[in-house]
Amino acid sequence: LQPIKVPPPPPSARAVCKEPLKVVDAAQIALLDPSGARTRLFSKTNPDAAKVGDILLVRQKSGEPFAGVCINIRRRGVETGILLRGQLTRVGVEMWFKVYSPNVEAIEVVQRRRKRARRARLYYMRTPKHDPGNLEGVVRQYMRQRAMLGKGGGSK
Amino acid sequence: MIQLKTMVNCIDNSGAAIVECIQVLRAKRPAKIGDRIVVVVQKQRNFGAEASKHAGSSVSAGNKVRRGDIRHAVVVRTAKEYQRPDGSVVKFDDNACVLVNKAGEPIGTRVSGIVGAELRKRGIWGKILSLAPMHI
Repeated sequence: LQPIKVPPPPPSARAVCKEPLKVVDAAQIALLDPSGARTRLFSKTNPDAAKVGDILLVRQKSGEPFAGVCINIRRRGVETGILLRGQLTRVGVEMWFKVYSPNVEAIEVVQRRRKRARRARLYYMRTPKHDPGNLEGVVRQYMRQRAMLGKGGGSK
Repeated sequence: MIQLKTMVNCIDNSGAAIVECIQVLRAKRPAKIGDRIVVVVQKQRNFGAEASKHAGSSVSAGNKVRRGDIRHAVVVRTAKEYQRPDGSVVKFDDNACVLVNKAGEPIGTRVSGIVGAELRKRGIWGKILSLAPMHI
């Protein structure tokens, strides 16, 4: 009796790379955020991170800057998104922005929340009682302060 | 997501305040920003805020449409989230439309309030976009 010829098993992908999705995710983040600034802005361990409840200003490559209260941070690796609620011409507008998107040029913290919000998703801000309303004044003040700092540093 | 029976705000100065959608044109699905719909005017906008405020001033002075009129309209704001190709999502607090004639030109002469930037890509609504004070 001849022994049955068994072909050798195919090369195991698991041996080469145990968690390919994590590798891809890390590679994408390294590509889109080489300095790591954006990651630090939303990292949980950073005490100076942007948190839910802060007023953020997003500068886009195409389009006007949008400012709003951050009511949700959805952490999904490279697909991390933030939900900002603002008001434009007296209509409430909510926008999700992908934090690592190349279309998002800069995210700035305009105003931090006084105290830590007691929940992770601030959907109660949609009710008229808690709606922050028009943030134009806050943003203008922030821009003025930034301009003053810039001028003060430049003139010195 | 505007469909049959949806009450939509009308944000131009054609005279309608609230209109009800009765048909979504050219699509077998609810209407998104930039879609054309057929509407019935449910509530008229009273121009009492204008210069003449005495009781005899007729409301139909600035109105181009009356209650019960059937017109075409373009959806400019939806409370349903609209996804963009770069991954961002935009959502307004209300549904709004602008009345339009069969050719696609707005009936009113002014648009008050923000409109969605989708109007630029989804069709021939350049005039509405230029009339609007703001778009996002």
